[in-house]
Amino acid sequence: MPQDSPFAALDDGALARRVAAAGGSPDSAAETELYRRLAPRVRLYGLRHLRDRHAAADLVQQVLLMTLERLRAGGVREPERIASFVLGACRMTVLEMRRGTRRREALMEAWGDRTEAYEAPEPLVLDPDRLAGCLEALSERERSVVAASFFADKQADQVGAELGLKGGNVRVIRHRALARLRECMGGTP
Amino acid sequence: MTQAGETRCAALVEFEKLLAWWLGELPNAAEASLEEHLFACAHCTRRMEELVGLAQGVRAAVRGGKVSLVVSAPFVEAMKQSGMRLREYRVGPGGSVNCTIRADEDAVISHIGGSLGGVTRVDVVQRVSVGGVDEPELRLEDVPFDPASGEVLFIPGAAALKAMPAHTMRMRLVAVGELGDAPLGEYTFVHTPQ
Repeated sequence: MPQDSPFAALDDGALARRVAAAGGSPDSAAETELYRRLAPRVRLYGLRHLRDRHAAADLVQQVLLMTLERLRAGGVREPERIASFVLGACRMTVLEMRRGTRRREALMEAWGDRTEAYEAPEPLVLDPDRLAGCLEALSERERSVVAASFFADKQADQVGAELGLKGGNVRVIRHRALARLRECMGGTP
Repeated sequence: MTQAGETRCAALVEFEKLLAWWLGELPNAAEASLEEHLFACAHCTRRMEELVGLAQGVRAAVRGGKVSLVVSAPFVEAMKQSGMRLREYRVGPGGSVNCTIRADEDAVISHIGGSLGGVTRVDVVQRVSVGGVDEPELRLEDVPFDPASGEVLFIPGAAALKAMPAHTMRMRLVAVGELGDAPLGEYTFVHTPQ
């Protein structure tokens, strides 16, 4: 967000209060900004707990549209704690999605035609050729551990059992390999 | 760096902890606590996105055959379950195999057999010969192996393999111990492009 944005001085809570204060005459610019800020957090939660990018995208849509609707209707008791509200909504919705009580079709019927005004930032995609080069620069053992960890999102103990290593060793190798990969890719501290 | 409108991060979460969250390694209470932090901290969300981008990039690199790997049998199983199309070859010590990869195949799995009982470290030494001209020898140190099945599972980078002309790859498995190298077997792969 540019520093001269009208929302630059507002934290998430203040932005949520502004959306709530607008009530029945929606402040679409504030809503768009709140959606933009919260969408990556909801998407990450969805990816972690649902392991499916389409399901994660559905989660973003459902949770944030419901949140905006509740804010407008005065249904969020503490708008300044909007992050906690959204996390709670994510937990509830993921549970329902897992139980199968809310199918994708039902979600789309409820929320699918109401997304035109809001756009979630695109997920981060790394340069595939550069990453491949960085992976090839790792040692065989490091590359095997990183691939085993991320190809099917396996925990250290599982990877260790598959590669004949202790879980602690896997963590050490993984830590070192990721540090090298992030450095090679020019990562964030 | 904090961006406009962002609340300053109260306590930067260690990258290792973000990774543990992503892989489901944290106990429930620690997981819930980290999630509270992530939802309130745009900076840590960006770091988490970087990690997830890395994880997804690694998966895409494997699926796209952009890297060579030595893997475990469960990894090969996971590749199959994910819908990847695999071609597999089995070769024992002193053996030779004629091999290829089709354009619609995602990976070639080489099951390289040997007597691996009691071995603590295995290195793979490989040399590619194109048109009778040898390329420099390459040594892959300390590769994963399964002593029980007596196999090293080698996956060459499919993208590079598809671009290669007819060639021969000679491979040696070497047990590395305190007394030095002990040969476990030699293997020949005669590759013909499709």
